[in-house]
Amino acid sequence: MERRELLKIAAVAATAGRLVEAQGQHKFFSAEEFAAVDELMEIIIPTDDHSPGARAAQCAAYVDERLAEEPDAKVKDSWRAGIKRVDELSKSMNGEPFMAATPAGQTAVVERMSTQEKFFGLVKEATIHAYYTSKIGIHQEMEYKGNVLLNQFVGTELPS
Amino acid sequence: MPQSDMKTADLSITYDAIVVGSGAAGGMAAHVLTTHGMQVLLLEAGKKLPIEKELKSMEWPYEHPRRGAMPPDSHALRYNEYNIRQPPYAKGVNAKHVYSYVQSWGSSDYSKNIVVDEKDHPYTGTQYAWVRARALGGKTNIWGRLALRLSDYDFKAASHDGYGEDWPISYADIEPYYDLVDRYLGISGHKENLPYLPDSIFQRSTRLNASEVMLREKLARMDRVLTPYRAGVTTDGLKHNKYRSRCYGRGACGRRAGGCDIHAAFDSPTGLIYPAMDTGNLTLRTNSTVREVLVDKDTGKARGVAFTDTETGKSYEAKAKLVVLGASTLESARLLLLSKSRQYPNGLANSSGHVGHNFCEHIMGPSITGLVKDQVGRPRTLDDGRPDGFYVPRFRNLKEKNPNFIRAYGFEGDSGAHIFPGHANDTPGFGAGFKKTVRDQAGAFISMGAFGEVLSRYENYVDIDPLVKDRWGIPVLRFHYKFGDNEHKMAADMADSAREMFEQAGIEIVKLDRTVLTEGWSIHELGTSRMGTDPKKSVLNQFQQAHDVPNLMVVDGSSHVSASCQNPTWTIMALCWRSCDHIADAMKKGEV
Repeated sequence: MERRELLKIAAVAATAGRLVEAQGQHKFFSAEEFAAVDELMEIIIPTDDHSPGARAAQCAAYVDERLAEEPDAKVKDSWRAGIKRVDELSKSMNGEPFMAATPAGQTAVVERMSTQEKFFGLVKEATIHAYYTSKIGIHQEMEYKGNVLLNQFVGTELPS
Repeated sequence: MPQSDMKTADLSITYDAIVVGSGAAGGMAAHVLTTHGMQVLLLEAGKKLPIEKELKSMEWPYEHPRRGAMPPDSHALRYNEYNIRQPPYAKGVNAKHVYSYVQSWGSSDYSKNIVVDEKDHPYTGTQYAWVRARALGGKTNIWGRLALRLSDYDFKAASHDGYGEDWPISYADIEPYYDLVDRYLGISGHKENLPYLPDSIFQRSTRLNASEVMLREKLARMDRVLTPYRAGVTTDGLKHNKYRSRCYGRGACGRRAGGCDIHAAFDSPTGLIYPAMDTGNLTLRTNSTVREVLVDKDTGKARGVAFTDTETGKSYEAKAKLVVLGASTLESARLLLLSKSRQYPNGLANSSGHVGHNFCEHIMGPSITGLVKDQVGRPRTLDDGRPDGFYVPRFRNLKEKNPNFIRAYGFEGDSGAHIFPGHANDTPGFGAGFKKTVRDQAGAFISMGAFGEVLSRYENYVDIDPLVKDRWGIPVLRFHYKFGDNEHKMAADMADSAREMFEQAGIEIVKLDRTVLTEGWSIHELGTSRMGTDPKKSVLNQFQQAHDVPNLMVVDGSSHVSASCQNPTWTIMALCWRSCDHIADAMKKGEV
């Protein structure tokens, strides 16, 4: 085995170890719920050749924290119920739960959700908020140029 | 804050003047009167906040535990709540703190201590989105910064179209004071030589981006103007003010309600109050909620004020030769109406019955968003490193007469990339395609929204609610206020003209909103103690002195005779400067 591949496996194992550890620390979601939300968010804003996606930006963890301190029980319930429906939808479409489905099967579920499920709007909005306010979203994906001290304004100077 | 000059209020002495309120109006009164050598006591109902620690203008969203949002026990009122329910809006809301709609904007955690908690500050009557700030500096801590002059198209509008009253001043009277305000506080903008929107003495202008330059050129062909946002921001710095830095285009202005922690944007504490303290003539007492203007039984003149300590609830009186109200258009009216006595049974300065009436403001809501195709997929530029984008001045009822409505409106607008891509929520789909579309279109949107003149009408007014009181036991305001036919027709035209302009410019319209926002939304309330030459039809003279009580002045937006469509802050300060110069001279001569 090449040294490079060994390192890769070691890295994957370390990541997996961290994941297991992290799952014990969710404040609102169960481990299964967290995994489903994390997957849904990554499908909505995936890693592409330009920048990492929602998983790397830890969007699910952000939502988990917000829901843990959310005083409105209805909001909490809508997430729990929504995740359940995702599984039900996957069972009816793919014959297995969402996390057990193939990537194509999962995408098909999200595609269906996007046309008929209110929950999709909820997850999409949360993903957008969490991703584009994250370090990855602001700097890598959007390449935001601001929040720096400038000597001159950017743009066109009008003739006086 | 100049700690060494901090004085404790001495309630045993008679000050030359008491100023109530520390926003644009009260701050300016403190500045001008102390410069004239007068001993001034400035009373502010709110706290002195450690404002730089509150605003943290350069904190990244991900450095904040809730990405800038308030804690979950706080609720910001939504548009639907204002329209379905009746005030007091906090009643029955199951949250620890309830705030006005401005706290529903992004980054609300940075302004939550500046604005009032609606639970402590109820009001009643008709639906009204009332935004209040109780803190040293008032709403200048979070204002939108658009700093415009009025012209004789506004001051003499009644002569032009026959509606309402002319102001008792003309542009020539106030022009030197606009110049003083420009030089003392700093303003950024581009000269356009428009008779209906006079130029200021501008510091370096912010710049337009490619979409805005394109729209400017297309509008010029329609005989309309798009000019860089005229901002009450010092872009070149102010040598005479050590509390303020020049603007470094950092981009934090995009946080609304935002504030500026280097004070390049004007705010009353660093722009006016701290320099006034440095004269040695100003005493500041915060946490002082004034509840009544006291009058001398024999002379009928103002002799001071009664106030409640906001934190301890204890009552005090302060004495002065002159009382200057700058508590805001609605709070100053409330104070006059609360100041009832045997001499003044209808409230102070109210022999005309006009206090609280002729209440006007700006109507807003209609707005447009478009996509500039040329800009899609372009490399990222920095577009939000400036106070805001652009302003399109009024174009209705100048040369022509509109068949449907009188008066006019202007547009505030912006385009290009922002720290948060708000268009993502309107971009359909998901996945790699969605992500790329959001990225490619980030700098390509342009949008603008209108602000129009609400006619001053006697029938639009506030009075004192006979039953409801605030947390300090002070009776609250009751609103009797609705937009009228002229406003609704104007609003329809705002949307139509916005569409026309974008179509002419070849911009693909993605959203055209015709909704009129709730009364109050513009945060530009005006007119409740208007100036005039006739004491039967007005409350104040042209120097903002009460006709009935010559040593009482109201220097905030209450005094405005009409709303015009230009934002009022710069006019409030220019008028206040003029009036305070006048009263200081009169007092020196022993005339007041």
